[in-house]
Amino acid sequence: MFRSRSWFGGGWGRPKNPHSLERLKYLHNILCKNTTVSENNRGILVESLRCIAEILIWGDQNDSSVFDFFLEKNMLSYFLKIMRQKCGGSSYVCVQLLQTLNILFENIRNETSLYYLLSNNHVNSIIVHKFDISDEEVMAYYISFLKTLSLKLNNHTIHFFYNEHTKDFPLYTEAIKFFNHPESMVRIAVRTLTLNVYRVQDASMLRFIRDRTAAPYFSNLVWFIGKHILELDACVRNDADHQSQQKLADLVAEHLDHLHYINDILCLNIPDLNDVLTEHLLHKLLIPLYIYSLTSESTKRPVTSSPYNRDHLQSIEVITRNLEAILTGKSSDTPPRLNYPMQRHESEEETKPSVSSVVALFLLSQVFLIITHGPIVHALAWIILQSNLSVFEEGATKILDVYVSHAKSSVKLEFSKPQLSLEKALENTSCSERDYTTPEFAGAKSFGYDTDHSSCDLDPELVSNSLPSTSHISETSSIAHDSTEDLVTQIQTVKSGSSVTLVKENMPDSPLPDSGIESTSSKAVSDFNNITDEEKQKLLGVKTTSATERVTTVENVLEREAKNIDKRPFLKTILDSLDCSENDYKALFALCLLYALINNKGVNPELLDTLLYPDIHDVSKSNVPTNSNTKQESTSSDNPEECNQSEQRMIDSFNALFISKLMVIANLSCKPASKVRLVTCELTVRLLRTAMQGSTGVASSRHISTADNLRGRAAALARNFYKCDDIFLDMFEDEYCEMSKRPLNVEWLCMDAAILLPPTRTPMSGIAFEKRLPSGEMERARRAIRTFFLIRDLYLKLTGKTETQLPLANPAPFVPVGDTLDLNDSDLISCDITQKDGTWHHRFLAVDNIQVILVEPDKQRLGWGVAKLVGSLQDLEIQGDKEDPRCLHLTIHKPRIGAHGALPRTVLLRAKFKFDDHIRSMAAKQRLTKGRTKSRQKKMQQIGRLLEVSGVSAPAPAPRHRPLFARPALAARRHSGLDGDDTERRLRRPSGHVLKDGIVVYRERTTSRESSVSRTSSTHASREGSPRARSEEIPLEDIRKSSGLAAAIPSTSSQQSTPSTSQHPKLTSTSSEETSFISSEPRFKRKGIVETI
Amino acid sequence: MAYAYLFKYIIIGDTGVGKSCLLLQFTDKRFQPVHDLTIGVEFGARMITIDGKQIKLQIWDTAGQEAFRSITRSYYRGAAGALLVYDITRRDTFNHLTTWLEDARQHSNSNMVIMLIGNKSDLESRREVKKEEGEAFAREHGLVFMETSAKTAANVEEAFINTAKEIYEKIQEGVFDINNEANGIKIGPQHSNAGAGGAGGAGAGGAPPGGCC
Repeated sequence: MFRSRSWFGGGWGRPKNPHSLERLKYLHNILCKNTTVSENNRGILVESLRCIAEILIWGDQNDSSVFDFFLEKNMLSYFLKIMRQKCGGSSYVCVQLLQTLNILFENIRNETSLYYLLSNNHVNSIIVHKFDISDEEVMAYYISFLKTLSLKLNNHTIHFFYNEHTKDFPLYTEAIKFFNHPESMVRIAVRTLTLNVYRVQDASMLRFIRDRTAAPYFSNLVWFIGKHILELDACVRNDADHQSQQKLADLVAEHLDHLHYINDILCLNIPDLNDVLTEHLLHKLLIPLYIYSLTSESTKRPVTSSPYNRDHLQSIEVITRNLEAILTGKSSDTPPRLNYPMQRHESEEETKPSVSSVVALFLLSQVFLIITHGPIVHALAWIILQSNLSVFEEGATKILDVYVSHAKSSVKLEFSKPQLSLEKALENTSCSERDYTTPEFAGAKSFGYDTDHSSCDLDPELVSNSLPSTSHISETSSIAHDSTEDLVTQIQTVKSGSSVTLVKENMPDSPLPDSGIESTSSKAVSDFNNITDEEKQKLLGVKTTSATERVTTVENVLEREAKNIDKRPFLKTILDSLDCSENDYKALFALCLLYALINNKGVNPELLDTLLYPDIHDVSKSNVPTNSNTKQESTSSDNPEECNQSEQRMIDSFNALFISKLMVIANLSCKPASKVRLVTCELTVRLLRTAMQGSTGVASSRHISTADNLRGRAAALARNFYKCDDIFLDMFEDEYCEMSKRPLNVEWLCMDAAILLPPTRTPMSGIAFEKRLPSGEMERARRAIRTFFLIRDLYLKLTGKTETQLPLANPAPFVPVGDTLDLNDSDLISCDITQKDGTWHHRFLAVDNIQVILVEPDKQRLGWGVAKLVGSLQDLEIQGDKEDPRCLHLTIHKPRIGAHGALPRTVLLRAKFKFDDHIRSMAAKQRLTKGRTKSRQKKMQQIGRLLEVSGVSAPAPAPRHRPLFARPALAARRHSGLDGDDTERRLRRPSGHVLKDGIVVYRERTTSRESSVSRTSSTHASREGSPRARSEEIPLEDIRKSSGLAAAIPSTSSQQSTPSTSQHPKLTSTSSEETSFISSEPRFKRKGIVETI
Repeated sequence: MAYAYLFKYIIIGDTGVGKSCLLLQFTDKRFQPVHDLTIGVEFGARMITIDGKQIKLQIWDTAGQEAFRSITRSYYRGAAGALLVYDITRRDTFNHLTTWLEDARQHSNSNMVIMLIGNKSDLESRREVKKEEGEAFAREHGLVFMETSAKTAANVEEAFINTAKEIYEKIQEGVFDINNEANGIKIGPQHSNAGAGGAGGAGAGGAPPGGCC
């Protein structure tokens, strides 16, 4: 407060109006007088700076002379001067300065003013000023300042920040130095700024970014991501008991942030930038860390087939060294790079750059779920589906060629720390005496990580001279560890082998240059490697067997695929991970990855044929000459590579194997004590559908019958829990509701760090039910029901049928609230309803087959009533009142209707119902209880049909089936003799014993009562006329009568009844929808139909 | 500038609802509301006192960054509190609240305190969204609600401070894991009764106490 007073009340002859040119002049004066910041004047300086911002904005909006004065006096230079002074508490002043600038740039609307502000390069000087960034507050204001500026970037303003001649772009280069700042908000600001810069799309600026900064920035970024992942992996490894869920969640979220950021960059569609980023991402992170982690276990096991099993090759260190050598040799178009000298420290972090395969699968799923940039995802997918270990030697350059004509393999394939910190790298790029005119960014790249102290020593001379590589390569390869030669040779032999068999060639058009390598390989050709030899034989074997055996059975195909899969180590790892015999921990991730991969838009669909091409039919065709099929494909794809792939496809589809693995999971989940979580089951089912429909989109009859069998098994599982207790029906409906409400979203699933921890059982872990194993009988039942839904859905989708039986249908529609009903001759019980909050209503209670209706008499027509509240009988909760026998406590739920029928139960009314006397109260209670039971029974019958209860629980289905469902007989009873009907019913009754389920036992009890009283009821013709009597309410009323209440009821109804002749109460609602009052006939019909199914 | 805790806030809502003005109004009271001046800022910090403890609020405006999915999701996750702002004179900004809230709920950590703010309460004559509607929305979604005016500074303090109070309570209840900075909460450097100096001062403005006269 005192400050504001000082504005107006203060002496010093300052202008009264805070918003005026005079005021600015006055402030300018203060700045002039206080050029040196001291303890004494910093307060006044801060306030002056603040006021300057205010006046300038005011001037920008109101008076242009203010701005003119500011520029004329070059006041920004004062800012700089103040900033550059180091004095006590300078952070105070700096913060205010930065905030003033923030306000200035944020609020200026006048473009000319903005240009003027930027024109004299002061802003760039402020940007490069070395603020005390150790001060949290200064850092925050500084980075906000940079971010604010970046939001002002456009095609015009960019030139104030990026100097084309000096190749200087401080705003960008200063900002990216903080890309891995410990403060998350700072990192976010940097990411925002970079994206804002990229999207300006200024060609010259982007060239600068690409040539000078892209490689260092991206390599550091990628390294940063990788380090996070190692941390994440460590977190998963060390936390079997779910202790650090929160930390894990943060690490996962961080990884997602990175992927989204990368995706945001890629989505800006800047080709040059994307190429660099793609290469770094693939060669420095995705392949050497993610993909490599998929093999790290398996490579050690199959001793004969891996080149990495030799002792001296065990360490990844050595491998990367070799890779480097090969990479160097391979790429003649890039500056040669010396392979790693021997003095590399074994203790470096790179000695173990691999994560557990679980983490790798999880992370790769995220990659495929988020990134859609073709070159990255397609290359990755290709590596996973098609390639073998040679990818660690060759990288994905070839596959990238499809997208990037000038794909350079200049990024060495390795997950390693960039040799220079980003800051240093950037310093180098800004040394203007260096010549950066080479169009290739490779030169710049070398600054990123090849120079300086560390192991990868780059001879600067080599860079500048850009020696032709040939002579150099042979030299380097000979220097290299001798295993390098072997690897090179392997590649060569693999290549030659593939040219013979036409099968093996995973890297079509091998990228190995002939010159340099030839010399080394020539002496080693004889050194025929195990792997290739074996593979060749296998391949040849496959060829011959498929040629000789014309008969292709599923077993054959499976066997062949199982053999072939050995050549696809990554795909093999993934498919092997689907094994759920112990638990489904790993399988879930493998499923996620496969799902993400198959559904990624950036992946070439032809590639997916590896998994989705239905090979059974195809093989039989392809055994006969292969040309017709191949020709078609080669014409369709003008790319030679794809052509090559599709040629392979006929032999290399793994569809049958894939399906069989999925079927194992599906079958396991149908077992009572299965270790398959629901989420795994759901994902399996989805993938099964995709795999079975294949690339054609139509499932074969073989698959459909498999799915049908599966459905049978799932029904059997659910049947174990089929009981009459109230809970089963509620559970059944709730689960259906839950499932339709929240279908599996794989992207969300992969955001959940909790699944990274080994599957747990206890709900106390806080993990959602779907993502853990069931705990207790209740949850086992829920799981069984859900599994049944999922698998039933699979079957229906494969056959193209639509779901007609779920959600469980109500046998009749509900009366809409507000409808006027003809209640003449209906049984109505008058009651007073008191709610908890004291609201009181008088209503009449009417009970129908499925609904309880509270009506208010219609004022216009006697005997008619308006439905005020309609609730489902099924969910009704009834409770007597201990003190007052006239009262009942009812909880009425909203009926489940609508297209989904899957809305959760919602309470409509919870209130005390007070009836005229205790007899009426008892009558109401009985009627409601009975109605509830019956409406539930009807639903239970539906479930019984769905689960095929009859087929399993008893050998003679027909007689047992009938009493449950043979409702038409009731309808018939009215027309035919009543006694006949009764005998029929009695005949059926005993069969109920066959079922152990509660429902039948219960049912028996009720039927016996029904039948015992129905005879009495038959004499009451008038009863028969009432709607409920015509439907299935007869027994209910009879019970009422039998319990001696018959007299009470007519009196209640007679209160309302008028001498109406209408036998069929009508509904006056305009809607054509039938209500239960008139729908008895159709209902019966419908039941009859259902029964025949 | 020692503090016991630092809370990071974000401000979200449609463009033009006055987010940056609210921010500036709160972090730097010295900017007097003047009728012919709209002025805002994208970042600010200020010290407040709750329960005798110095608490620093850092407020980040997310405006202009909606185009990038990576940015918004990171912002949400790094914040302990969010002010969801709409403009009471523009119905559409109110209608978009659901989308904002869904986004916030999806990306933020579940403990994030969200306060619903109906801004521009000074423009009563142009009001399109009733106060009751805002209240109802807040009740339905479990938010704290308040109508503010960045122009007259009405309720601005309260909005930010009440949010902070709620976060503080959650910390006391042990809901927030304060050792995890990803939550948007930071424990201050061990301070020894250093609060007195900055008390009441608009810290972020950088004005030292009594700096004016």
